[in-house]
Amino acid sequence: MLHRRQFLKFSAFAAASLAAPGFLRSAFAAGGEITLAAPLPMSGAFASNGKYGSIGTSMAINDAGSILGRKLSYLELDTEGSSATAVRKVQDAMQQRHATLFAGGILSSTALAMSQEINKRDGVLFTTAGADTITGSKCNKATFRWSVPTYGAINETVRPLIDKMPNAKRWYTITPKYVFGEDLLSAAKDVFKEKGIQHVGNSYHSLDTQEFSGYITNALSVRPDVLLLLNFGSQSTACLRQAVNFGVKNRMTIVVAWASGLEQFKALGPDVVENVYFGAQYWHAIDSPFNKQLVAEVKKEKGINPDYALASAYMITKLLIDGARKAGSIDGPAVAKSLEGMEYDGLTGKETIRAADHQVIKNYYLLKGKAKANMKDADDYVEIVNYGQSFRSAKQEQCVMG
Amino acid sequence: MIYLSQIVNGIGLGMLYFLLAVGLSIIFGLLHFVNFAHGAFYLLGAYLCYALLQHGIDFWWAITLAGLIVAAFAALVEAGLLRRIYRLDHMYHIVATIGLALMIQEFVIIVWGPVGASVSTPPALVGVVMLGNFIYPEYRIFVVGFTAVLALVLWWLLEGTRLGAIVRAGSESSDSISLLGYDIKRINTAVFALGAGLAALAGGLATPIRGLDPFMGVEALAIAFVVVVIGGMGSFTGALIAGLLVGIVQSLMATIWPEGASLAVYIAMVVVVLVMPRGLLGRA
Repeated sequence: MLHRRQFLKFSAFAAASLAAPGFLRSAFAAGGEITLAAPLPMSGAFASNGKYGSIGTSMAINDAGSILGRKLSYLELDTEGSSATAVRKVQDAMQQRHATLFAGGILSSTALAMSQEINKRDGVLFTTAGADTITGSKCNKATFRWSVPTYGAINETVRPLIDKMPNAKRWYTITPKYVFGEDLLSAAKDVFKEKGIQHVGNSYHSLDTQEFSGYITNALSVRPDVLLLLNFGSQSTACLRQAVNFGVKNRMTIVVAWASGLEQFKALGPDVVENVYFGAQYWHAIDSPFNKQLVAEVKKEKGINPDYALASAYMITKLLIDGARKAGSIDGPAVAKSLEGMEYDGLTGKETIRAADHQVIKNYYLLKGKAKANMKDADDYVEIVNYGQSFRSAKQEQCVMG
Repeated sequence: MIYLSQIVNGIGLGMLYFLLAVGLSIIFGLLHFVNFAHGAFYLLGAYLCYALLQHGIDFWWAITLAGLIVAAFAALVEAGLLRRIYRLDHMYHIVATIGLALMIQEFVIIVWGPVGASVSTPPALVGVVMLGNFIYPEYRIFVVGFTAVLALVLWWLLEGTRLGAIVRAGSESSDSISLLGYDIKRINTAVFALGAGLAALAGGLATPIRGLDPFMGVEALAIAFVVVVIGGMGSFTGALIAGLLVGIVQSLMATIWPEGASLAVYIAMVVVVLVMPRGLLGRA
């Protein structure tokens, strides 16, 4: 007979085992090559972001072929969405594979943890994570960020929508309780205050929940005009789907401040996406030369349109490679120095890496879901309704390079 | 008013959790077998339902067929593998079923990819029901009603029929049942297939609510174990009460302590285990 204590012990053991299949996946390369490591969530709730990020990184490496006369090899590090795992794998990659170039860290919590470690060991990290502090109060000389931080994301979604819907005065937020969500919420509150919007409530949720009916019930009870979702990845997908199930879309405007783009829209389906507003770092229909080139290449090689995870991973990997070539070295501080102030034709048009805080200055997009009948092809889920650049100065971001 | 709304929402959520856990409870209660592949059967049921829908099959047929296919698969697994380890230490049960769960999860990733997918709510149940400020989706109400009926049918099957009596007797002493001329192996296979089929049915029914992703099985397994531990291992009625308790606690906490709503479920489990070590209705 199984006893309760045994049962609980077995449960814990089994849960840990099931949550860590990523141990089974890693790529190794032969010596003599230059290793470019991609710490990505290849398992767990954010695995779909990791999968496409990995494709983007490997494509950029294949396109580059070699740098400094040495072949580039790709090392995938499954962070499992955990800061502790990410740091451990970064340490292993730096000690055992002498990796100095890191492209990845989709989640803010893992990116912040890796950033400190990589800086301490003289590597360089290019990330797409969103928390303001990455290029703000916790900035350092080794860390660069391609994506627009939460301040810009809110200002390029909430602000234009307030202007577009002057009668929508009551906003409700649903926020994940970690650094990324807190930063989005803080930025949103600032805009609400400035624009005279009534913030009628907020529901925090944990990073592991997929059940949002209680939070949606909270929102419905105060009858807001707009429901602003500040979560990311599978959580914003689950939250939005459940909100639509609860009939929220028929009663108020729904805004997802930070969408993952195409892969998220595919997971949601056009019925859910229709008429919902999404903030996005990237959309494959952006009219820029480099984006058109990438879209054509991905279509040719993979038969798909690139989503945000793929395109951003390609971009940051390419920037690291360009930085190493420019520096003539893979030494972290040298690569970092060469990246500072770099101007280039990027996915969103002209992009600049601000030297003072290592933030890439680029556009952020406001998208609106199309009706299924108006979609021109299977991936034509949204139209771009607004885009622009909103960044605080490096001084306002309180970045002091360490 | 908001608390009343959350209690009603919690009852709906609790019935979903019961549906998730009932198969695990049956397998544990009758076979004394710890099935860590329960979440994987739920996952497989959800994806089979999705695949059948992609082939133009009606939603109701899709969830029924998904349940039956997974039940048949589980019967094969039970007959080919698990029955050989029933008498071994529970650690063998755990290793075997975790291995099975990982294989099913990787199979889903290989076939359907790591990106999630969506299943539309059946057209007849697309709307919402409104009671003042309280709004609840018709589909969730259907799931609550369906689960309530299913619970009654299962209770009758296990407690009110000769077949149920044989199964329950077999769980107490398989040797005695064999001596009476019943094929205990077949009975065990049927019980395991029933539990797995119920998990798959839960997976199919959950798809319009939570969509699909290859890791949904882990989440379901965690909830199922919490429900089974709170309710008392092997107690059918306990699982129902525990499911409702977990749902109501989680929903109420979404208002009282939103960031801790998920944690509150596990705190509730710890409290119940500390106060009632065998769970609410567990056997000695």
